[in-house]
Parts: sequence; C-alpha cells; structure tokens
Amino acid sequence: MAETTPKRPYQSPRKQQKQQFSPSISLTPQTPQTLASSGTRRSSRRRSLLEDPTTPEKPFSSIEKPVNDSPKSSNLARNGEGLKQRINLSKEERGETPKSKKNVKDENVKTPRSKRKNDELYSVEVMFSPVSPELSETKKKKREDFFEEKTAVVTRSKAKWRNGKVDDGGKKKKRVYYKKVVYDGGEFELGDDVYVKRREDASSDDEDPEVEECRVCFKAGRSVMIECDDCLGGFHLKCLKPPLKQVPDGDWVCTFCEARKMGKEVELPKPPEGKKRVRTMREKLLSSHLWAAHIQSMWKEVDGNYWCHVRWYMIPEETVSGRQPHNLRRELYRTNDFAHIEMESIIRHCFVKNPKEFSEASNEGDDVFLCEYEYDIHWHSFKRIAEIDNEGDGEDADSDEDWNLCKAADSDTDEDMEYEEEYVKNLQTRPPTAHELAANSRKGRFFGLQKIGTKRIPEHVRCHKPTEIERAKATLLLATLPKSLPCRNKEMEEVTTFIKGAICDDHCLGRCLYIHGVPGTGKTMSVLSVMRNLKSEVEAGSIRPYSFVEVNGLKLASPENIYRVIYEALSGHRVGWKKALQLLNERFSDGKKICKEDDRPCILLIDELDLLVTRNQSVLYNILDWPTKPHSKLIVIGIANTMDLPEKLLPRISSRMGVQRLCFGPYNYQQLQEIISSRLKGIEAFERQAIEFASRKVAAISGDARRALEICRRAAEIADYRIKKLTVNPSSASAGKGLVAMADVEAAIQEMFQAPHIQVMKSSSKLSKIFLTAMVHELYKTGMGETDFEKLAMTVSFICTSNGETFPGWDILLKVGCKLGECRIILCEPGSRHRLQKLQLNFPSDDVAFALKDSKELSWLSKYL
Amino acid sequence: MGRKNPASQKALNLLRNRLCNPNFIFKPLSDSPDSNYSKLKFLVSSSVTEACNNSILLLGPRGSGKIAVLELVLGDLLLEYPDTLSVIMLNGLLHSDDNCAIKEIARQLCMEHNLMFSKMASFDDNSQFMIAMLRECGLAHKTIIFVLKEFDLFAQGKQRLLYSLLDAMQSVTSQAVVIGVSCRLDADQLLEKRVRSRFSHRKLLFLPPCKEELQRLLEHILSLPMDSSLPRDYAVEFNGKIKNILADERFKEIINTYLNSDSTVNHLLRFLFQAVSYMDLESGFLSLENFKTALPNFQRQPKLESIKDCSILELYILVCMKRLEVKEQNSYNFNSVMKEYKSIHDSFKTSDYYARSVCLRAFEHLLQRELICFTDNRGYSHLVEFRPVKLLISYVELHHGLKSYRSCPAILLKLMER
Repeated sequence: MAETTPKRPYQSPRKQQKQQFSPSISLTPQTPQTLASSGTRRSSRRRSLLEDPTTPEKPFSSIEKPVNDSPKSSNLARNGEGLKQRINLSKEERGETPKSKKNVKDENVKTPRSKRKNDELYSVEVMFSPVSPELSETKKKKREDFFEEKTAVVTRSKAKWRNGKVDDGGKKKKRVYYKKVVYDGGEFELGDDVYVKRREDASSDDEDPEVEECRVCFKAGRSVMIECDDCLGGFHLKCLKPPLKQVPDGDWVCTFCEARKMGKEVELPKPPEGKKRVRTMREKLLSSHLWAAHIQSMWKEVDGNYWCHVRWYMIPEETVSGRQPHNLRRELYRTNDFAHIEMESIIRHCFVKNPKEFSEASNEGDDVFLCEYEYDIHWHSFKRIAEIDNEGDGEDADSDEDWNLCKAADSDTDEDMEYEEEYVKNLQTRPPTAHELAANSRKGRFFGLQKIGTKRIPEHVRCHKPTEIERAKATLLLATLPKSLPCRNKEMEEVTTFIKGAICDDHCLGRCLYIHGVPGTGKTMSVLSVMRNLKSEVEAGSIRPYSFVEVNGLKLASPENIYRVIYEALSGHRVGWKKALQLLNERFSDGKKICKEDDRPCILLIDELDLLVTRNQSVLYNILDWPTKPHSKLIVIGIANTMDLPEKLLPRISSRMGVQRLCFGPYNYQQLQEIISSRLKGIEAFERQAIEFASRKVAAISGDARRALEICRRAAEIADYRIKKLTVNPSSASAGKGLVAMADVEAAIQEMFQAPHIQVMKSSSKLSKIFLTAMVHELYKTGMGETDFEKLAMTVSFICTSNGETFPGWDILLKVGCKLGECRIILCEPGSRHRLQKLQLNFPSDDVAFALKDSKELSWLSKYL
Repeated sequence: MGRKNPASQKALNLLRNRLCNPNFIFKPLSDSPDSNYSKLKFLVSSSVTEACNNSILLLGPRGSGKIAVLELVLGDLLLEYPDTLSVIMLNGLLHSDDNCAIKEIARQLCMEHNLMFSKMASFDDNSQFMIAMLRECGLAHKTIIFVLKEFDLFAQGKQRLLYSLLDAMQSVTSQAVVIGVSCRLDADQLLEKRVRSRFSHRKLLFLPPCKEELQRLLEHILSLPMDSSLPRDYAVEFNGKIKNILADERFKEIINTYLNSDSTVNHLLRFLFQAVSYMDLESGFLSLENFKTALPNFQRQPKLESIKDCSILELYILVCMKRLEVKEQNSYNFNSVMKEYKSIHDSFKTSDYYARSVCLRAFEHLLQRELICFTDNRGYSHLVEFRPVKLLISYVELHHGLKSYRSCPAILLKLMER
C-alpha cells in the first residue's frame, strides 16, 4: 500500500505559500487555541518582519457579500463539495498573495492577512469579497465548476489562477525560486537553519561576535576554551582555577555552577569597566532576543526583493509549559508555525540537529542546537519528530529541483498532481472552519491527527538512563530495525538480481517471483531492504526510476480490494475496485497511459499472497496475467508461507507464477545466534550460553527469528523484573546479578511453548480432579478416547463411594465437567445434552496422571491413574 | 421484626458493598512480587516507560479474577501516568467480526482524543487510521492499551484484526500493549501461524487461591474496619466472632464442601453474599448458622426437582421411555412410547389411563422442560409424534426422583426396577 518513489514534488513553493495561512483560527469550540498567548506572539513575529508594521487594518466593508454566499456554500459543504471549494478558495488567496504583499508596502490596506484577523468569525468565503471585479468574475465561474468532475475543477481553477495573476498587476513576471542564495555574504540553501532578527531589539543584533568571550578574562583569544554543560559559558583552560591542561571527557560543569548547586551565593566575574559584555547569537537566541528558523523555500519577488519561507524554532521558555526540568540547555522545538520573511532579516547560519547528530557533534562551535520535538502552536502539545521526516526532507529537496526545471515547460500536469498534495496539506494545516471532519475517514487521509501530542514531555523519557538490560530489551524489539540483516545475503542477492534483471532491460519484460517460507524467516524484511538499496541506487542514478507498490493480503477487506489499493498507489485516485480493475487492465494489458509516469516499470509486492485466493481465483489470475502482457512493465513479487501454493492453484495460474521461486528456509541455530548477537553487539546483558540455548531451542521447534528475539526479550524482562524486585527488598540485594541467565531463558521458553494446563489441573477443585481421574480411568478401561456423561457419572459415583467421598449429585458433576470444558482441559458438548453429552480429554492422559498423582488431599487418586 | 440495630444494617451494607467490588477483593492478593498483579503491572508500565510493544495473554478459569486484576492495574497506571495512556476495550462476544472490531477501535480512539468519528468509514480507512494513530501516539509518548476480552473469539476466521494489530506493532514505532483475556488455556494455539509468530507470547496464568490465601481472603472480606463510622466496640465484637467462626472446623467443612465443585474466587463470593444476607440484624453478628443455611441453596439438583413437579402421566411417559431404552430400542418416538404405555396399561390395568391427545400434551411438556429431547435437529417438518426422542435424565436420577415423589404410584416404582 505504500508507495515509495517520489512521484511528485512534495514541497513545492506554492504550497508553502499557502501554509502561511495555516495558523488561522478554528471556530470549533474545543480548539484550545488561545489568541492571547501564541496568536499575539506569532503576529508580532510577522509584523516585525514587514516593512511597515503600522499597517492600519481597515474595517471590512462589504459584509453583504459573504452573507449572500454563506447559505449556498454551506449547502455545498453538506454535499461534500465544501472541501473542494475551500481548496479553490485557497488558490484564490494564493493568487492574491503577491499583490497583497505589495499592498502592504504601498500602505494599501487590503491585505488578506489583516482581514482574516478581523473576520475570523466569518466563514472562509469572506476571502472572496475583498478585491477587484475580476475576481468576482472568476468566482462565478468557479461555482459552475463545482458540479463538474474533480479533475476538471483542478485544471480550470489553475488556469484561472494564472489568469487572475495576470490580471492582478498585468505583470508577466513570476517569482523565481532558488535552491541556493548568496545574500549579504552568507550562502543560504534550502533546509538550512538560520538566526533571524527580531525587530524590537534590532540595534543589538548588529554586533555579531563570531567567537565567544571567556567568562573570566572577557577576551576571545585563540586559546582553547571549554564550555560548561550547565550554564553554557565559555572558559579559557588557563583562566580556570585550577587551570586545566586539556578538555576532560564527559560532562564538565564550571566552578560557578557547582557552587550555585551547593546553594552558595555566587558572584560572577564582572567585565572590566567600559567594556560591554558581548553576547553571542546563541545567548541572544536562548534569551529570546533572536529567533531561529528553518528555511523551506526562497524566491525573488517580482520587485527584486529576496524572500524566504521559514519554519520557526522555539526555545522551551516560549512554550506554554515553559522550560521543563529535563530540557537541555541547547534544546529548541520545531514548530508548525510558518512565515514569509525577507532575507534581509536573516543574520547567519545556526545548526539545529536531531539528538543523534547532536551527540556526535562535539566540536562544531557555539551555534549547534538540539531539536527532538515538534511543538504544535495550536494545541500546545509536543510530539517527537519522526526519523522518516528527515529522509523525507532530503527527497523533497531533490524533487524540488525537478519541479523548478519542468515548471517553465509544462506546469499544467505538474500542478494537477500537486493538487492532491495540497489538498492533504490543506486538511492538516488548516483547522476546520465550517464543519469538523471525521478523523477516521477522509479517503485515507486522516484529519485531526495534529491534535495528538503530549502536553508535557514525560520526564522519564528524557531523564531515565537505561540499564544494560533495558537497552538489550530495546534492541531486541521486533519494531527496531537492525542496522544490518545477517544471514539472508544469498536470498537478498537473488531478489536484487531478479529485480535488476527485470527493470534494467530496455524493454522491461514483466516477471513474477514467488517467495515462500515459514513465518519469521525474514521474507518481507529482505525484500523491503532490497527495495531500499535499489532506491538509493535510483537516487544515485545507476538504474532508472520505478514505482513500488506494497500490498498485504491480510490487510485487505476483501481480495478484490487489491485493485483499488494498487490503483490508488499508482495514480493517487480512489475509485471502486471494478473501475480500478478496468483502469489497471487498460494500463497493463492495453498499454494505455494514465499519467505521465506510467512508462516507469512497476514493482508490485504482494505479501500473504494466499489470502488472495478466491473461489474462482480470478484475482490472482488477473494480477499474474498482467506481467505476461508485452507493455505491462509489471514485476510481481508474491510472498506466502506455503511451499506448494502454485500447485494448489489452477494450472493457468501456476504456469504464470510457479516458474521462478525463492525459498527462505527456517534459520538454524547458528544463524539465530548471529541474529541475536548482532543486535546485542556492545551490550553486556546476556550470558553467552543463554543466547545459544534460546537459539537452539527455537531452531529445533520452528526456526522463527521473531520467536527467538521474543524469547530473549522476555528472558531479559524476567531478569529485569527479578533484579528490580530484589532491589526493593534490600535483604537479598546482593543476589541480583546483572546478566540474563540460563534460568531466565528457560522460564521464557516455558512460558512461550508450554500450555499451562498442568498447573491448572493441579490447582483445580477437588471434584474436577476426581472428574479427570474418572476420565482417565474410563479411558484405560474401555480404550476409547470418547465417553459420555452417563458412563462417566457412574464411574465417578463408584470411585467416590469406594473411597469414602460423598457423591455430589449429577447436576453438580455436570457443572464441573462444563467448567473443565470451558478451559479446554476436556472437550465436551454443551451441557444441555446432559446424559448424552460426549466428553474427551484434550491433553494426553499422561499429563493428567502427572498432574494429579501426588495431590495431597486426594492421595487415593493415584490408584486410578 | 424487632428493633433494628442501625450499626448492623450499616455493617451489612458495607460487607455487601465489598463483595460486589472486585477492586477490594483483589487488592490484598496483589502485594507480593509473585502475584499476577505486580507482574502485569511491570509488563505494562515497562512498555510505557521504555516505549516498547508487548502482547500479553491472561489465562485462567472463569471467575479467577483476570479482568479484576487487569482493571486494578489499569486504574493504578492511569493514576501514575495520567495522560499518556489510552485504553481500548473490545469484547470477543461483541466484536469478533474484524470489520466491526476495527470500527470500534477507531471509534474509541476518536473518543479518547476528541476527534470526530465517521460511521461511514470503510475497513481500509479504519485500519489505516488505526496504524496512523499508533504512529502518532508513539511519537507523542502515548501508550495505547488494547484489551481484548474473550480473546479466543477473536481468533476465529482469518484473524485480520489481530494480524493488522500485531503487524503494525512490529513495524511502526509505536508503544502499544495488546492484552488478551481468555478462559481457554489453549488460546494461543488458536492463532494462525503468521499471527502467532508476531504475537509476543507473554502469558499470565490465573489460578484459584490456595488454602492459606483463602483463609486470608475470608478474613479480609468479613472483618469490619476499625477506623470507620461503625461503633468501635461493635466492630471489635463482630471481628472477634468472625475470627471464631473462621477457626471453627465446621465452618471449614462448609466452605470446603462448597468449594469442592469450583474453587475460584468469584464462586466463593457468591456464596458469601448469600450467607451475609442471612445475617441476623437484631443481634448484628454473623453466625455459623448463616453459612449453613446458605449452603443448600448452592447444592440444588435441578433435574430431580423438575421430576418433583411432574404429573403422574408424565412420570408414566418417562418410565415407559426408560423401559424402551433398557430394551435396547435405540430409536423410538411418541408412537412407540404410546404403544409401551398401552401395553403397561393392558397388563397391569392401571387406573391412570389417558387419551392419546392428553398424553401428547404431557409429552410436549416434558420436551419443554428438557427432561426428554429430540435426537435429531433436522425434521422440523415432521410432526412431534414421529420424531425420535431420547431421555435426558439418567435412570438413577429418575429412580431417585420417583422415590422422593410425594404420591408415586407403587406400580411405577415396580416398573422402574424391572
């Protein structure tokens, strides 16, 4: 279902332009947006960057228009068209933006932004009314468009947008977007982090000491300086008391901070008379006299000014929850607040890094910051930044280049495709205005997920230092992807050659590969890692681009849905499965092109292929028939567990699929051992034999790597539990050893592989024990596994009377039997069958004998076992 | 009704309250490190603090306190980590269909996070939404706990729900815990192999309490608190009496006979509730008598009792059927029963001879009371008279029943014995 190849430029500048409007205010009551706190701040941020901050905000004049509009639009909204409308609206806005900006400069008042501030209570339609007659004309046309097909709406409104723009100023010039700008002596690229001036204390911004001063002697100098990890002050090694010879390893805290921690009054050395203390950019940023931002795009405005679109960073003090005790000194939050600023206000580079890079960056100067979380300015919540995001950014930068290149030539199709993207973005960045959208259905795009986030970052996440065992547990998690995938090199090689052989041909013949193997042998993982490698090769340019579609048979609601999923992944449109089948047939069999990327080869990975087998097997046939067509360029990789799936299918299918096969055999114990120890490299948590024991055990049973990892994780958990509970009672604290021992692995294996029936039998009630004994006795007597309740009750009453127990009565006995049946210790028919109820032991009679032989209260049971 | 002791009424209410509150019952069993409570709590809280995924099965016979302990743990954790936990509850009896289970998950997720929920969303939408939520919540350090009650019922069919849940848990950086609760000991064997491979197989076994635990539990439940609004000397006296009762051999005997059939906690509570309700409000103290009177209520024999309510004609029919079965006539219907009835009448000249239509009515009564049943489920088209039937009561019970019948004709007993 995922589609990995970058099909369309993701971060096109136009889209970002729109994001400027994202922090609009929602009308829904539960929106926790506080105008007072963040709103003012943000607007001040903006205003300070405008040329003339005193822009008067003209009261809104033409109220009647939105009033006229609103009933119609709400109708539209109800019809589900409202969204499209909103998109068109935003396009409209975009058309206006350049103008509005100029307006601001000319002290002309009609800025959409200011208007929005005034009229938050009106619906979006307000946006229409402001401007020139040309726009109202386009509006009329748009109304017609709403009732046409979606694609038509897109293109036309696009066209109109461009017209509108031309109308706007009569200028043919466009903005010119750049990837790299050399401005004011600094070289700025997309994706760079920069310091940004803050209007209010512009004066102090001018000084920019490149080198920090020593806190003691207040000179910069060349000699080595050391940074205190607490107050971030710099010190010359020689100025310290006592002076240090070299920079010590690990954390270092200056004497002032140490003293302060001890509770003493500390007087920092004062700068010499007449010399003002020069603060570095970092200090100014952290005391919120500066801002930091991330450049998303840069362009030259028609009037020759350079602008860029930035994403703000925030310091912890600026968030609602303030600085939290676990915040690091150099920590920043990425926000979802965007703005357009002039390049003029950018000072210079800083470096915001994710925790991993940050921990590696030891010696890169003063302007390094850490950013692990994103802060949502509407909801005041934190969220970790997913690692994928970074990769995504990288891709985006690449595709942006593409976009710029092809923009001049034919932007029409391009824009079409982007439409979808924008649509999504729109949903996510713009809080709902007219009506709130349901979160779980938006044609696959989920609305409102930005609401999720912690109000405070829980402390245990940041402050807790994991012990060895906890680190071991973390690396053994199935979800953590290991850096290397040992033991599947041969198979991965084969898959790689298969795919390369298929797509590197000039003609790209369709092919089909069937991969089989028992669960947990790394089938899907290997294929996915091959695809990752290939993707990097595509990026390097050594093979040509392809599209990759991944489908999991077990996640489809019905087998036919696969057409829909494939089509959606390829084209981005959602249609019913019948329509999708027809379109896919057109594409693969008849060679008709849906969109311009269709000439790319397509790799289709179908996981759990056996789930697609329908009664007449038409789904499999259709899918496997496409690769045989001359122009399909389709490569199908099917994954399933059973070895003989092709043989079980109709001959016309197996002849198409069964030719090329790849078997993933179960891992043997050396391989399992290697997998586990490769994950545990550098962590001293397991005894060597413990790993070997676990892998041997699993290899003997299933050879399932997931099992092996889970057993080890469980063993670590048991050991952790043991150690933690022991430290609670200090009496036996010394007994706790830090390693996962054989006994823990043994316990984990027991838990995983053994049914707990023996324990349950041992602790069951007296009558259940007698009941089970009678079952076994009956079994020995008759030799038949199955018995009925009448016979059994006779046996029980006989056993009871001969051993001095009171026979409880038939109905109670029936109840006891049914209870045992519920736990599946015996198999039985429903109790209403009473006398005719059939009974059978669910476990071997030896287990029962073992469990009940030495029961203390009923020692006579062993006679019958 | 003499004067009522207000303190005793209060004490009775308190005891009843306790017996209906599983949190109170299972609290004292949970402090030791070997208890399921602390193990489960460790498992769940470690997945909260260490941000990992887990799946756990809670197994044990019905009434052994699986859900009670789970709720205790969840309650404690919700207090400990106030807004990082969201609990999704599903029940196999309600949501065993994958489609509706996924929908329910989406609904509860929406509820938890104040999102709008659409009933119209498709299976795909909902399952993608669930995965997206798992990811988002993982990024926001929030743990989602899925509680699947009657877990075995989720393991039917293609197990799409379990597969997508467990697969998401090992591919997405999320923190989620799947807790399956089932009374089937072989619940994990029901999973399909690829689902089982993804399941992390932590199992906690819930067993009935052993003798010592039982004694502690009884004391914990039945003795009154000293620091409550109850008069202090009353509470002291009450507790003293309870102590005597608990130490009494006869009391132990009663409890043992009762628990012989089923020794789970829930079963015990039912008995205690009944016994406590017999408490004499005038004296305001529990006595051994209360427990004694409560015991027979739980040792009833419904089949024998229903024989007691039969008419003479119905008894005749039952005896005839028994005779037919003894004659090894394996398949018989109403007509053959009537033939037997007639032959008995002919040979013994009994006074109780009724017309065929009356006999048919009696026969239908017996069917409704499940003393006899049709042997086949098919053949609804057939008339009642022609469908083969079977006796649902054993000969021994029937004999007992006849003997204890208030005015059983001697001929019937004679016929039974032959």
